[in-house]
Amino acid sequence: MTNTVWTPELLSPAGSLEKLKVAVLYGADAVYLGGQKFGLRQASDNFTAQELREGVEFAHSRGSMVYVVLNSFLHDKDLEELPEFLSLLSELKVDAVIVSDLGVITEIQKHSNLVVHLSTQASCLNVESAKLWKKMGVTRIVLGREVTIKEAKKIKEETGLEIEMFVHGSMCMAFSGNCVISNYTQGRDSNRGGCAHSCRFEYSIDYKNNEEAKKAYFMSSKDLEGIRMLTEFIEAGIDSLKVEGRNKSHYYAATVSKVYSEALAYYKAHGNFLSDDLIRWEEELRKISHRDYTTGSLDTHADESSIYNQRESDDNEYVVTGVILEVKDQEHILLEVRSAFTAGDTLEIMPFSGVTINHTIDSVKSIANINVPKSKPGSVVKVPYIAGAERFNIIRRKINNVSAAV
Amino acid sequence: MKFITYAENLTQLKELSILVETNRIDRSELEVIIGNAFLSRYSENTIAGFEEMIVFNQKAKLQLVLEWDVLQQETLFQKNVELVSKLPLHEFKAVRVQDPGALNFIKEKFPWLKVQLIMENGNHNYAGLSRWSDFLGEQLDRLVLSNELSREHLGKYASDLKNDLEVLVFGRILLFYSPRLLLSPVNKESIQAEFEKNIEAYGTSEESPHAGFPLIENRHGTFMFNVKDLYLLDHLEELKSLKIAAVRFDLRFDDSFGHLENCIDLFKGRIAHSEIAEIKAEHPRPMIKGFYNINKTDVLFTKLKNKRIQRQDDNYIGEIVDVERDQQMALLIKSSHLNLKSGDEVQLITPEGKTKTLGLKSLTDTTGKLKESAAMNEVVLLPFISGVVAKTQVYLIQK
Repeated sequence: MTNTVWTPELLSPAGSLEKLKVAVLYGADAVYLGGQKFGLRQASDNFTAQELREGVEFAHSRGSMVYVVLNSFLHDKDLEELPEFLSLLSELKVDAVIVSDLGVITEIQKHSNLVVHLSTQASCLNVESAKLWKKMGVTRIVLGREVTIKEAKKIKEETGLEIEMFVHGSMCMAFSGNCVISNYTQGRDSNRGGCAHSCRFEYSIDYKNNEEAKKAYFMSSKDLEGIRMLTEFIEAGIDSLKVEGRNKSHYYAATVSKVYSEALAYYKAHGNFLSDDLIRWEEELRKISHRDYTTGSLDTHADESSIYNQRESDDNEYVVTGVILEVKDQEHILLEVRSAFTAGDTLEIMPFSGVTINHTIDSVKSIANINVPKSKPGSVVKVPYIAGAERFNIIRRKINNVSAAV
Repeated sequence: MKFITYAENLTQLKELSILVETNRIDRSELEVIIGNAFLSRYSENTIAGFEEMIVFNQKAKLQLVLEWDVLQQETLFQKNVELVSKLPLHEFKAVRVQDPGALNFIKEKFPWLKVQLIMENGNHNYAGLSRWSDFLGEQLDRLVLSNELSREHLGKYASDLKNDLEVLVFGRILLFYSPRLLLSPVNKESIQAEFEKNIEAYGTSEESPHAGFPLIENRHGTFMFNVKDLYLLDHLEELKSLKIAAVRFDLRFDDSFGHLENCIDLFKGRIAHSEIAEIKAEHPRPMIKGFYNINKTDVLFTKLKNKRIQRQDDNYIGEIVDVERDQQMALLIKSSHLNLKSGDEVQLITPEGKTKTLGLKSLTDTTGKLKESAAMNEVVLLPFISGVVAKTQVYLIQK
């Protein structure tokens, strides 16, 4: 008999049906996604009704849960369209909906029996707030990112609610739901999915008594990384660890899901972490596009070291080469190309579990078997069969000159 | 309709008291919001100064409202609960809160104390406002509505909700509230973060067409306001006719407190709006009606993505993932319930919206072998058609 230790659910973003599959295959216990309306990522692909049906079937058949975001601050006319979508979600047996607005919660309770999780957008920050939302019928609270793990533990203990916290990804600098810059400057409602990310701009700060304005990215936050805080999350009994990023790439969904699921699985089996593993997982998380990492408010409330005071850049040690579309056993792999590569390049295949497979590619061909000197992003190419490769595996490549590869 | 404003210190409270004593405004029409640096977002008032105002008001007998509008993580919340519990709450007509934790605390511990619930971050629907109203019942004094609501909605809510409503008619528009201290790190050498006074600055970005966002940093974090302030002084009569119960004049910034008497005279109908044109003209920033006339902040959403590259359901079969000119196109089957068969006819819709049709005499897989049919996740090759590009969506034409 094997003794295992309790670990939290790993909840990954699914910006599209393909990303859902990638996240689940790479180890997510649950995914969250949005339909065409009612969520906060209007620019994401999101899910049509049929994609939602397929996504739920795919996730449930592999033991993963599906939560659907309805976390916009909806206006009256938006609410009129909600009941039809709720019927679909009920029919598909999604596991919960994530909501921030009391009006939306009220409509959900009126038209369905769906389980309601409170979105971080509601900025629930303390025990009394959680108690209030419990009275309103929510069963889980996605706490504001300003709450420490220690505070979250207290909220859980004193309310009995399920508690979800962000473990990784981009962070709002404002209290979530308390930023309407886009509404007034761009005419796009940030709380209905139109955020223009004005907090990432560089600003000149003109102090009243100062002669010279100072330039700074003063409102931009570093990205959250909680891999070193997993023990604290587990010991606090935090039920679910959420990864931000429905707008991010397949590679991001794969890497973050893989790293955190492997870490949680290791803890489940052994009850601790080894420092070498933590270093390895951190290295993996540095291979995806990210701003500098911070632990945000997980340990103590975020201070000035959490500000990302620099221009955004895509420079990275690794680039995504592509996603595997098809594997013909002993014949070839069909690869949807995301960045150019040539014969002779060494590619790294990220299997759904275990260590990466390094392979130097002998040839790159078009589907019609014509040699391609250099693959073009957006095209599909054939490379020779590599044992262990599977459909939806992500392939990446280390680059020597970071700026030159972009 | 009630006149709501702020007194930031004893001097301002005394001025308001004099206006009541001299019958410029009825005592019952005026409510004065007061706070302190621990409970209020922008107040610089010390606890001693705050207590002094309460003592003064024991004789002045103005209707005071306690402002507790900060958002609080649990640790800070406990400190504030301790502070609030020691305050002479019976001296206040009501307490004004946004944090649901503060609301629940007041509801549970002080059920006799009226609540003015700040609904300014969202709460743009009747269902939600009505539920908050039901939740508080008799304890609810007023809902403080978002300034993103149009007059149409204000009128509807004032007519349909059973409780009183308040809107802002003059003052800064808060855009951003962060608990992090963002200004002092930029100008470390000259700023001491001791929080006795708010740090004030203006932010301008070359990436935004707007310049001069007012900024404040204090113990509660950092606040950014719109470059234009809200001005609805020409709509007071209309708001009254819509049955809005209270209008708020936020005169805390830019020496606006100097407009107090004019605002009261306008409110009372003693002067016409045209007589106070200088308020708007001399204001340090442009003034706007915000979303009072209409809120169309969702109309751009349809332009954020190309709907043509999204699958429409029913007959959807898959997506063209690669095109080799004059040779073939690769189709990835994505449908879980439809197979593509030799002899089928398909419709292709390109990202630009062009529509093509194609009869499939045969199907070939990526190794060049002929196939009778292809199912989900399989890639098959179709004959090249001019104008078709990757991301073209493919639909089965049902016979």
